[in-house]
Amino acid sequence: MSRINIITLVVFGVVLVWIFLFSPDTIRVVQRGALAVFAPMMSSSEKLERSIDEFGDDGRSPRELRKRLDVLERESALLRLENERLHDLTEENRALRQALNYVENSPLNLVSARVINRKGPTWYHTLIIDQGSRSNITVDSPVIVPVDNEAALVGKVSQVGEDSSVVILLSDEVCQVSARVMGTTEQGILSGQRGALNAAPELKLRYISKDAAIAPGDTVISSGVGGVFPGNLLLGEIKEFSRGAIDGEAVVISKVNFALLKNVFVVSGLKE
Amino acid sequence: MIYYIIVFISIALSFVLQEFVPVFEWAYGARLMLVFTVFLCAAVTLPFPVMLLLAVFTGFIWDARYHVPLGDAGELSFGLTIFILGLLGLFIQGVRPLFSRGRWEVPVFMVGTMIMVGMLIQFLLISFHRGGVEFLPEVWFKILMTSLFSMLIAPIVLLLLSRLAKKTGFRIRLEGITRNLDHYGDAFSA
Repeated sequence: MSRINIITLVVFGVVLVWIFLFSPDTIRVVQRGALAVFAPMMSSSEKLERSIDEFGDDGRSPRELRKRLDVLERESALLRLENERLHDLTEENRALRQALNYVENSPLNLVSARVINRKGPTWYHTLIIDQGSRSNITVDSPVIVPVDNEAALVGKVSQVGEDSSVVILLSDEVCQVSARVMGTTEQGILSGQRGALNAAPELKLRYISKDAAIAPGDTVISSGVGGVFPGNLLLGEIKEFSRGAIDGEAVVISKVNFALLKNVFVVSGLKE
Repeated sequence: MIYYIIVFISIALSFVLQEFVPVFEWAYGARLMLVFTVFLCAAVTLPFPVMLLLAVFTGFIWDARYHVPLGDAGELSFGLTIFILGLLGLFIQGVRPLFSRGRWEVPVFMVGTMIMVGMLIQFLLISFHRGGVEFLPEVWFKILMTSLFSMLIAPIVLLLLSRLAKKTGFRIRLEGITRNLDHYGDAFSA
């Protein structure tokens, strides 16, 4: 090995150790900068993906196209477009009204955020939202969505930029929530799957009593123990329960479809 | 020198394009690791010191964008990608003589293998941190598909890089690899 290569290798090692020794604050500053730089691209890629998806939805077989042509002959194209637009607006209005209603009635201080990117690291389930420290979002803030007028947990904030934040989803193994089964005294730890392998994996509720009276269909909610997540957030529904030698473990299906999330709410404390 | 600058710009560009690369749910979240592929292809052509500099540049931006801070630090330390890229770059530099003689199949295979090794290192570190190795078939499938996607794109990246090298008058040097070659590797053809 030549002298220059050895010197470079030593310098590389020193730089590596220096970076490994970065304080959490330094890492936060670096990542905040990266989020600010990459935010426009993340947003654009999500928009592009959506347009491609919508384009795919229009793909029809020749038979369907002929049917569609017949319909189009009977209807004015302009009127159809207007109708569709009105329908979309009505749907959007309904969803926003439901969200607004939820925000107004919720005892929690909520910050509304839009999902701008879903492409996270290889081995973690994350998504990026368009609100950050400017909206008083902090690390570990719980993220929720309304499901049937109840607050369902999506995950927690793991990284905050000025105008964007990274949310680690409940479907990831590292997002662990103290949970209890509604209508019982059973408490355990709910966590997702290792390796970000599925968009909607089965969650595991561990460390519950092996004699627990749990049945499929029972609702699982957050217990509020630990201080990160407020109590009574909807987590999912029991799919099956298995008894081990020491404790029991239940498979839970989340009430949230993580792959289809568009708008979420970040909890920034309780209302005064 | 111009070639080196172009390589660094290519890496920066690959970060932008990476944002637009879809994640395939049917392959358990596998995707084309464009940044890693461009880095590894570039590593085949670069001298050792420049490859290490490129590893620092690429790894730092990668961790700035994708590092997940859990608690005070994270399971995978900030800077780990620099180490992994440096290590993978070191291995892939071994096929420089083949590439300089116009053999592409081994570098392409090596790109896929190195990405597989890199992902395995990350997964094993996560598993070690969480106290238990779980090797589901889905994990292997995800790793395999990710490296296959990279192997599919690697010939194009290598072709682009070799074209750029030709246009800028850059020649792959082989110093430090074997004593039987001069630093251009011309002894074989002599």
